[in-house]
Amino acid sequence: MIDLSIDITMRQGEFVLTVRDRASVEVLGVLGPSGSGKTSLLESIAGIRTPDEGEIRIGDRVLFSSAGNIDLPARDRRIGYVPQDALLFPNMNVRANINFGRHVEGDFESLVKILDLQDLLERRVTNLSGGEKQRVAIARALMTRPSILLLDEPLAGVDRERRDVILPYILRIRKELHVPLIYVTHDEAELNSIADRVLRLGR
Amino acid sequence: MSAETWAIARFTVLMALLATTLVLPPAIAVGWLLARKTFPGKTLLETIVSLPLVLPPVATGLLLLWLFGRRSPVGQALDAIGIDVIFTWKAVVLSMMVISFPLVARSVRAGIEQVDRRYEHIAATLGAGSFRILRTITLPLASRGIAAGAVLGFSRALGEFGATIMVAGAIPGRTRTLAVGIYTLVETGREDAAWSLLIVSALLAFGAIFVSNRLIAEGRP
Amino acid sequence: MAVVASTRFRAKRVLRMTKLLQLLAVGITVATAFSTPVAAQPPGLVASVATSVYDALDEIAALYRATTGVTVALNAGGSNTLARQIVEGAKAGLFISADEIQMDAVEKAGRIVPGTRLRLLTNELAVVVPQSTQQFTLAQLLDGRIARLAMGEPGAVPAGVYGRRWLEHEGAWRRVESKVIPFPTVRAVLSAVEAGRVDAGIVYRTDATTSAVRVVGTMSRKDHPYLDIAYPAAVIVGPSEQEAKRFLEFLKGPAARAVFDRRGFGRPDER
Repeated sequence: MIDLSIDITMRQGEFVLTVRDRASVEVLGVLGPSGSGKTSLLESIAGIRTPDEGEIRIGDRVLFSSAGNIDLPARDRRIGYVPQDALLFPNMNVRANINFGRHVEGDFESLVKILDLQDLLERRVTNLSGGEKQRVAIARALMTRPSILLLDEPLAGVDRERRDVILPYILRIRKELHVPLIYVTHDEAELNSIADRVLRLGR
Repeated sequence: MSAETWAIARFTVLMALLATTLVLPPAIAVGWLLARKTFPGKTLLETIVSLPLVLPPVATGLLLLWLFGRRSPVGQALDAIGIDVIFTWKAVVLSMMVISFPLVARSVRAGIEQVDRRYEHIAATLGAGSFRILRTITLPLASRGIAAGAVLGFSRALGEFGATIMVAGAIPGRTRTLAVGIYTLVETGREDAAWSLLIVSALLAFGAIFVSNRLIAEGRP
Repeated sequence: MAVVASTRFRAKRVLRMTKLLQLLAVGITVATAFSTPVAAQPPGLVASVATSVYDALDEIAALYRATTGVTVALNAGGSNTLARQIVEGAKAGLFISADEIQMDAVEKAGRIVPGTRLRLLTNELAVVVPQSTQQFTLAQLLDGRIARLAMGEPGAVPAGVYGRRWLEHEGAWRRVESKVIPFPTVRAVLSAVEAGRVDAGIVYRTDATTSAVRVVGTMSRKDHPYLDIAYPAAVIVGPSEQEAKRFLEFLKGPAARAVFDRRGFGRPDER
């Protein structure tokens, strides 16, 4: 369950993004065409980007508040972020990527099983397919036991035929791990099967 | 190649190796600062770092001579604990370090700048602290740039002359590097002897370029 | 958290880094070993000498080593650079300068052991031309009938300072000034003349004898007393004072004097 409260404004040149939402859900979908600021929103929540003004709260925890001069650094937010192109560390193999964050040893086995990564563990990350990269990135983020998992267009780098293969993994995470998700996409259809609620961005 | 030429060559290479080793940590620190951080006075730092590149080496040598001489607080402090710099091998290493520093720092900076910052961001969301990110993500991914910088710095140190002769002198057996040796021999009318030093210098230059090219080639997929 | 790395790629990297570290470690160790001779024994005598006397000093130092077993390390350079180094505290034991001005600077800085400064040698100017030049007279030069004249930098290099003084004395400086090509060292002047890049050059008489150039005139001390080209020598304050004093005595002795004479240097008592 996320109890996410967002009230932020971000300006970049002429582009202004204003988001005001309060959600208590397991999976929050964020829908919007490209350029509508979806990634910027996720980056703000993760702590990678700083909004110009506003407030971000999860439950009672204030992650960001321009009025209160609070900006919790990313490493302290316990928020998992799976970016659009996975961004696996090229200088490490799959196993090392997954184990990178602060984690509990026991989680490794179960996550590898849930995401079917056993055969990939010793592989170099540069040779993986889009879908494989996504799954590794998800495992990497989940290893740190985040309070929320942010997924930025998880199916964007995957072939259309393969999409049905990835989606079940995401559903598994929701079902077996109970990690709240924020799922960002431009494709409404993806959200149908997964989101409890949809936040729409854009004109 | 005479025994003396071999001794001078070995001395020069060892000094350049030592200088490069010692200059890498500060150059990496400064290169990282300039690549990743903004702060008041950043332009000033950039200028100071570039000074040895822009000033004629003799001017740099003069500055070092003053800094480590008996009239400066640093020189006096060192003298008090019995450390001699001027006219010793330490002055050779020092000049090499100062002269090559901007080259190494710039290469490091360029190497780090081309590392996608998003990797560092992701690492932060995974709970890694700044130093860990630097150690496990940024520097490894910038390693080629850093290595290239080290080779560049080493090459420059090998050929360093203007500052060296100022602070270290041209004392045979003690501070005579290849470059200083060539100059002194020519100056005192012994060009023939200078030739063998010249050939060794050229060979070392080839070696350095060879290593540098290998580093660049390994970068290509 | 330790990063578990087991790929070939990473292993090669680690191996390469280890090798590099080993090499560096060796380098540092040996470099330190180099420093031991300097630190463990009292530093040998370093003599800073002007470039124009280096050859002579080299020969004499070899004699000195043969007779006393003491090695004198010679630091050759331009007198102004040498003086600057000594003023800033370089531990040279002896200084032989190509002119009094630089020695004055060192003395003023309090770096000379009192009572040790003396005139060691004298020299004379010579005008030289390329060996291929058939006809050239001093009169030509003084009339300004010359395209290019090589000299040491007239404001800084001792040989250049003297050269200008001579030309001024002859009333020829105004005519010749525009033809002057300044060089940072006498060696460079000689090279230019040897290669025929200039019509004539002003150097020391002692340099002219060792080069492939033709001497067309020498400004003798008798005829040109205002050109007092002297090489002062002095013992520098520091740990090598005693050694330096002994070496200076040797330089004043007959064996050294023979070497200086042979190479064309004048004796200090000649005025």
